[in-house]
Amino acid sequence: MNDLAEAVRIVLATDVLIAILASAVYGLVVGSLPGLSATMATALLVPVTFWLSPIAAIATIITASAMAIFSGDIPGALLRIPGTPASAAYTDEAYAMTRKGQAELALGAGLWFSAIGGIVGTLSLMLMAPLLAEMALSFSSYEYFWLALLGLMCATLVARSSPIKAIASMLLGLLIACIGMENPAGTPRFTFGVTDLLGGIEPIPALVGVFAVSEVMRAMASAEPPKLPPRRFGSILANQWLLTKRYQWQMWRGNIVGIIIGVLPGAGADMAAWVSYAMSKKFSRTPELFGTGHPEGLVEAGASNNASLASGWVPSLLFGIPGDTITAIAIGVLYMKGLNPGPTLFTERASSMYALYIIFILANIIMIPLGIVMIRLASVVLRAPRSAVMPVILLLCAVGAFAIGNNPFSVLMVGVFGVLGFVMERQGFPVAALVLGIVMGNMVEQNFVTSLIKSDGDVWPFFERPVSSVLAAFTIGALLWPLGVWIWNRLKSTTGEIVR
Amino acid sequence: MQISNRLSGSVLAALGAAAAWGGSRLPPVPGQDVGPAAFPMVIGFGLVACGVLIALGIGRSFEVEETPEPLTWRVLVPPGLLVFYVLAANELGFLLTAAAMVLAAGLALGARPRLALAMAVIAPPLVHLAFYKLLRVPLPAGLLPAPWA
Amino acid sequence: MIERRTLLAATTALAAPAMAQPRWPARPVTLLCPWAAGGGTDAVIRIIGQLLERELGQPFNVVNRTGGSGVVGHAALASAAPDGYTLGMITAEICMLHWQGLTELTFRNFTPLGLMNNDPPGVLVNGASPHRTVNALADAIKASRPGQLKASGTGQGGIWHLALAGWLDAMGLRADHVRWVPSNGAAPAMQDLAANGLDFTTNSLPEGRAIIDAGRARALAVMGPERLGAFPQVPTLKEAMGLDYSTGAWRGIAGPLNLPVEIATAMGAALKKVYDGEEYKAFLNSRGFGLTYADGAGFGRHLVAADASLGAAMRGAGLAR
Repeated sequence: MNDLAEAVRIVLATDVLIAILASAVYGLVVGSLPGLSATMATALLVPVTFWLSPIAAIATIITASAMAIFSGDIPGALLRIPGTPASAAYTDEAYAMTRKGQAELALGAGLWFSAIGGIVGTLSLMLMAPLLAEMALSFSSYEYFWLALLGLMCATLVARSSPIKAIASMLLGLLIACIGMENPAGTPRFTFGVTDLLGGIEPIPALVGVFAVSEVMRAMASAEPPKLPPRRFGSILANQWLLTKRYQWQMWRGNIVGIIIGVLPGAGADMAAWVSYAMSKKFSRTPELFGTGHPEGLVEAGASNNASLASGWVPSLLFGIPGDTITAIAIGVLYMKGLNPGPTLFTERASSMYALYIIFILANIIMIPLGIVMIRLASVVLRAPRSAVMPVILLLCAVGAFAIGNNPFSVLMVGVFGVLGFVMERQGFPVAALVLGIVMGNMVEQNFVTSLIKSDGDVWPFFERPVSSVLAAFTIGALLWPLGVWIWNRLKSTTGEIVR
Repeated sequence: MQISNRLSGSVLAALGAAAAWGGSRLPPVPGQDVGPAAFPMVIGFGLVACGVLIALGIGRSFEVEETPEPLTWRVLVPPGLLVFYVLAANELGFLLTAAAMVLAAGLALGARPRLALAMAVIAPPLVHLAFYKLLRVPLPAGLLPAPWA
Repeated sequence: MIERRTLLAATTALAAPAMAQPRWPARPVTLLCPWAAGGGTDAVIRIIGQLLERELGQPFNVVNRTGGSGVVGHAALASAAPDGYTLGMITAEICMLHWQGLTELTFRNFTPLGLMNNDPPGVLVNGASPHRTVNALADAIKASRPGQLKASGTGQGGIWHLALAGWLDAMGLRADHVRWVPSNGAAPAMQDLAANGLDFTTNSLPEGRAIIDAGRARALAVMGPERLGAFPQVPTLKEAMGLDYSTGAWRGIAGPLNLPVEIATAMGAALKKVYDGEEYKAFLNSRGFGLTYADGAGFGRHLVAADASLGAAMRGAGLAR
């Protein structure tokens, strides 16, 4: 109990409170800018944390990343430009709601269920960290391989276009992920002698290109769309309680899936959002409404990605193994501040740990009022003329891509992916599946190849370990299910014809 | 859409074949049985299969038929401006390059010249301030350094 | 921080008129880091930058120039104007990438200013592994079929892979007697080790520290010239096996070629002061990073030796072009 009191005292220190507030605003702004992801928001904070006290430094990262993951939904909903890869899964859904005049409901759902997800995720971190950590450590490359495959299959479930085109988009993404030498063999592939390609294609320039730049390109070709009915933005939270009651089961499922995926190192919020959105559609009573502006999937995915953000800290804090790209940066800061990850952090520095928990909860609570302000400010772009908004977005795309590695090559990549995204959309290929392929490509190949190396080329160990056998059954079942349904329908219709 | 499906399917199949071929020519890694070739080849064959199915028009029933806007040369303005940024930013500096970008994109989108000019004057300094000062991104100074740089 | 900075600015402003000629550094210096923010190299260069600022009175801003497996950042430093306002960190990869034919760039494209840190590889096993000492593990390796045991720590051809190859070579075995399982850095390898997916890893001990503390992994040895301050109970290979083999992932500060001598001298002296200061030592020790120092000339000799030995190791492992 002394530790808890001490923790409260630590958090209530002026510098910590200022750090939380400032980084909350910072995270909201950066996450909402197309071209700057939650990971970027965290990376750009590192130099600042250098000057802060340990708890204040970690507080900035916790707060900014939670805010940025939520506010990545804002440009997605308003302009169909996802701010972070995690939002890409349900951007079309949120944008469809905006076109129906329900922008406040879509963004409110993102805000409300993100905050709940963050708090539930934190509770899991507080109450079940050792248990969850045990689970994370039972995952070897075999289990990750199946998990990654399951994640990829979400692309086909989410897409509203033909499943074959969705698979083709995803494969194209996987092929793009092959570029560079960051592959298990360490061999440069498809680099055509270009040094900048050695490190591969970053997901962020690709995301920014296929969504934001191609959107600007479409704007060039089309007439300014009819203005939305000029009505005031309604109350943002008013209907969230209703949604919470109606989709309670979906919310909890999203939270749980998010926690599980977040705990597994290397998966992270991006995958959590995809899997949850796909699950929501799969198990929905009205899957045909998905993609037409239906809040059900937003509830589940929003609850999921922020829950995964919190639970991603479990392996980071206990074992120094990052749960995602954000905690990978955070671990560096933890070490830099002398809060070395490890079990001793929980035992010997319990007050610091409690302080982190309190900051997590606090960040998710202040997310709601600050998020409302942010949504109101951002919705100005709905009223601004398109010819004033789009040029600035293009500029932000360029600067945001440059900021990733201070490398102009990324800006060029954004342009290339803009053209690719534009062409793909015109041909009916879902670009979100492409992004998923690029995000997941390295994980799929890495775990496939290392598993084969470890098993000396034998396939049996992929099914042998207890967890991997379960995951394999899931994957193969999900793969064969549509085929089975198709054959069943075929049989039924042919027999039907014979009878007739 | 059928003609374009045939085209996009063939392009994908060709790309897949090229990837598989390119992948198969990658040198094996000493001391490893599974080298860099395996994954691109699997994907390449997958793309060939998808490309053929698309070209044959299978799975078309799932698609929502949409008629896209007619193409104009203006769609090439955004990627063109990004290339311009890459080429010019170091010489001209961020402020001038960004102003040119915003102005050109605004005019191409049909903004009134006064609005486009106003955006080109206001937006770049604000973006510079945010990225250079707040996020410490080393934006190039070039011909016109920002007064706060 | 604000107070100290204003104080610093004030003192430099006061001191400025006293100096007739604008001495280096007269304005902020950029320190290029070829690896991403939050990593080990980033941490080391940031503490150095902070201490240099105190030493030389100008901000030393760290800029992460990432991409191309370190090539992009190293190339940016090599091609920067040699005016002393763009300096940076070079890492062991600069003596490896060119052997793989990935870049024309070698250590000869830089002016070495000071070697600041060296992390030796370790030998780590699962916490429940039957091998309690490095000798027991070595015996198991010698008794195993080629390719039967699996080790990891980083990607194919990375520094820890070369460490394994060198260790096997020193034991009189083939460089690929233990199968290397490439991983995306040390953290995934440590996780796979804890998940019982590997027999051992050869990454540095600080990279596995949290898992070692959690009892899920055990450090058997360190492949360095002496024990590490943060792991005093872990013996060196020489102590445990009598093998005189040591290597490491080193980091040093350098500038582009043709850096003026005055600047190189001033910077070299400042780096020595940084290294000798308590704060730098305390920081590196707290993270378990290895302390190693050499001045500009010594760093130059180190680069020649490292380039040759890493090249030999890569040829031995069949990784060089």
